Amino acid sequence: MSSITVAEHENYLTTDFRLWSWLTTLDHKRIAVLYTLSITLLFFVGGAAAALIRLNLLTPYSELVSIETYNKLFTTHGVIMVWFFLIPSIPTTLGNFLVPLMIGARDLAFPRLNLLSWYLYVIGAICAIESLMAGGVDTGWTFYTPFSTEFSNTHVFAAVTGVFIAGFSSILTGLNFIVTIHEMRAPGLTWFRLPLFIWAMYATSLILVLATPVLAMTLVLVAVEHIFGIGVFDPALGGDPLLFQHLFWFYSHPAVYIMIVPAMGVASEIIGCFARNRIFGYRFMAYAMLAIAAFGFVVWGHHMFVSGQSAYAGTVFSLLTFLVSVPSAVKVFNWTATLYKGRISFEAPMLYALGFVGLFTVGGLTGLFLASLGLDVQLHDTYFVVAHFHYIMVGGAVMAFFGGIHFWWPKITGRMYSDAWARFAAIVTFVGFNLTFFPQFIVGYLGMPRRYPEYPPEFQLWNVLSSMGAVILALGYVLPLFYLFRSLRYGPAAPANPWNAKGLEWQTSSPPLPENFLRTPVVAEEPYSYSADRPSDG
Amino acid sequence: MKQSSVASTRTYFISWCVLLALLLLTLGSAFISLGWLNTAINLTVSVTQAAIVLLFSMHLRSAHPTLRIVASIGFFGIAILISLSLSDVLTR
Amino acid sequence: MASTLSPIAPQFDDAAQQRDASNLGIWIFLATEVLFFGVLFAAYTITRTQHPAAFAVGSRLTDLPLASINTALLLTSSLTMALGVHAARSGERRATVGWLSLTVGLGVMFLAVKGLEYHADYVEHLVPSLNFSYSGAQANEVELFFYLYFVITGIHAAHVFIGVATISVIAFMASKNAFSPEYFTPVDLTGLYWHLVDIIWLFVYPLLYLVSRS
Repeated sequence: MSSITVAEHENYLTTDFRLWSWLTTLDHKRIAVLYTLSITLLFFVGGAAAALIRLNLLTPYSELVSIETYNKLFTTHGVIMVWFFLIPSIPTTLGNFLVPLMIGARDLAFPRLNLLSWYLYVIGAICAIESLMAGGVDTGWTFYTPFSTEFSNTHVFAAVTGVFIAGFSSILTGLNFIVTIHEMRAPGLTWFRLPLFIWAMYATSLILVLATPVLAMTLVLVAVEHIFGIGVFDPALGGDPLLFQHLFWFYSHPAVYIMIVPAMGVASEIIGCFARNRIFGYRFMAYAMLAIAAFGFVVWGHHMFVSGQSAYAGTVFSLLTFLVSVPSAVKVFNWTATLYKGRISFEAPMLYALGFVGLFTVGGLTGLFLASLGLDVQLHDTYFVVAHFHYIMVGGAVMAFFGGIHFWWPKITGRMYSDAWARFAAIVTFVGFNLTFFPQFIVGYLGMPRRYPEYPPEFQLWNVLSSMGAVILALGYVLPLFYLFRSLRYGPAAPANPWNAKGLEWQTSSPPLPENFLRTPVVAEEPYSYSADRPSDG
Repeated sequence: MKQSSVASTRTYFISWCVLLALLLLTLGSAFISLGWLNTAINLTVSVTQAAIVLLFSMHLRSAHPTLRIVASIGFFGIAILISLSLSDVLTR
Repeated sequence: MASTLSPIAPQFDDAAQQRDASNLGIWIFLATEVLFFGVLFAAYTITRTQHPAAFAVGSRLTDLPLASINTALLLTSSLTMALGVHAARSGERRATVGWLSLTVGLGVMFLAVKGLEYHADYVEHLVPSLNFSYSGAQANEVELFFYLYFVITGIHAAHVFIGVATISVIAFMASKNAFSPEYFTPVDLTGLYWHLVDIIWLFVYPLLYLVSRS
């Protein structure tokens, strides 16, 4: 496959500098940039809530905020981070940018739906922020009934409306990706020549389109019950609060796979490149992501082991949950095997990707603890659970997201950033992350409940360590803002393929042309053909 | 994916007659006391009617396998949602 | 009859790719609609399993004749829609407009009958949160049945309304010669949506109206 080198020329960023051209763009690359700006903003809103939580937990007696405010803080943190950061993150930023490029297409199948999805995200975010400014919500991001429907007197309606609208943004993104990947691959690009990032976007999109509608209607039912005072979740009328939990978790468990599968795709791209090796077990990696997407739909009851769900159902869900860990484990083994006999280098993206593999493994293993019925009785609603999901979502998904941003930054912006600063930030993030969340495994196991503003004084040491870690973690997240934005002005111009990576996106200029390729590429090579080049590698 | 070959107008009219007949069947059977069998008959009729609409009016009979998978996946999703939730409710 | 040619959008290589993409896209959308309504069917199933007697009582209080007429109307509208798509595919402009207009008419009749039904429910004090009153046993659970009845038929009716509006627009476009045997995709896609709305009703009808009628 020959590189198409292009001299300094017009690219998707320079075609039109007016704001209006950005707000009415149909170019998937510009929409990806719009999304990146939006979710970064929301990330810091959710992060601010987290900062206040960790500050409050420095002492056992909740001396910073009232109990009511504390409830609103963890709700805000959850709602914003789950729906307005993690779920959109990799798919709408890296996915939107890269899917057409990686398959040799000029754009996604439905560019107008793509723009609409961004506007829906923005409107949803505005609704959510409005509920925040009006005083917040105190139900937890899980909106359990009958508290959210009957008893909470906070701004539940605005919050669920924001999430409902953002949900349609997700659905449109997923629909677009599925159709694009099915219909618009370049000549010669068969399914099993696709990069694993594309497989990841495909599997994620399946979950997006199948799970999100369930959330949407469930939130409608919550809103109706909240407004009219009658509904099927109200036990006083013969309704069933567990019905809400079944409906909610039917979406929300697959949702966590929406958050992690894209990260797995990013990891495969980065590790293949910086180990200069073919991904070990390519087909199993692809099948594993599909299996995770499928199995992810039948395990939701593991969130309900102590809710009043029957022991029989609990047993079934526990067994299924153990099974869903298998494909994830296969992927971890395969990433490790990819390193074997590789020529490994430790640029910043690789540091993030390796961090991802390690931290995801810890998070995943602790998920097995929670999947055991007996252990879950002890650990449910403690900080052990909080640590578990943060290891996966933050140690896993967010690290991979940062890795992906660093890996594809030259492609997206046409600039190189300072790798020294980037590696420093990656290490700071890794250290800060572990200091924040590992103590939470310990204090959770010792019995500290989650969502409580106060705790027994003997847990203070672990909480202080965790809060200190949060400061370091915050530094790790803020550093990239500086050197990445600096690179836009002062960074050296990026070549088409700065990392010497495989993949069609590297065969076009950095930044790409508006139409992506001068000529539609024809693919004749297997993916990740790194080892084949190794003897003559530059 | 090739453009599907389509049904004729005659097919649509026959489907319509069958669908109306099934409507009369499900409605009529509701007036005979059969216990749990009433609901079973009703739902079987509904599924049959849905299949007729999907296969003929919605051209799934001659559609690419991908479309058929997409068409059925929603129903599988509901099946999982209801069956696993019921497995909890029925065993409490 | 000659028709206006439709351009191929720039992201597609040819008309066939555009058509296949549109088709796959609409079917995925329909799958999302199925899951959207699936929540309501799940809520119904769980609640009915827990309160079978109340659901029997509630169902008997619904208006079976009107609902049966509505089912027949919707099935017929599916026929006219299919014939409309067929006419569009054959390039028969007049027939297309005719069948689509008939479909709109039947859809409007469905909504009118629904309106009659809702009015009767209101008069009979069967509207939860508004004026619900039932003097028999398990009044709360019977009210839950009617909550689901209004939510399910209401959301379905909203989809019928959207369908009616969309088909009207399509019919108008057809009258302006926007379609041809080479390009009738909007008619085709709208037809698929309309058929799905019909299918959903085919499940709603027995579940709400035919419980314990003997």
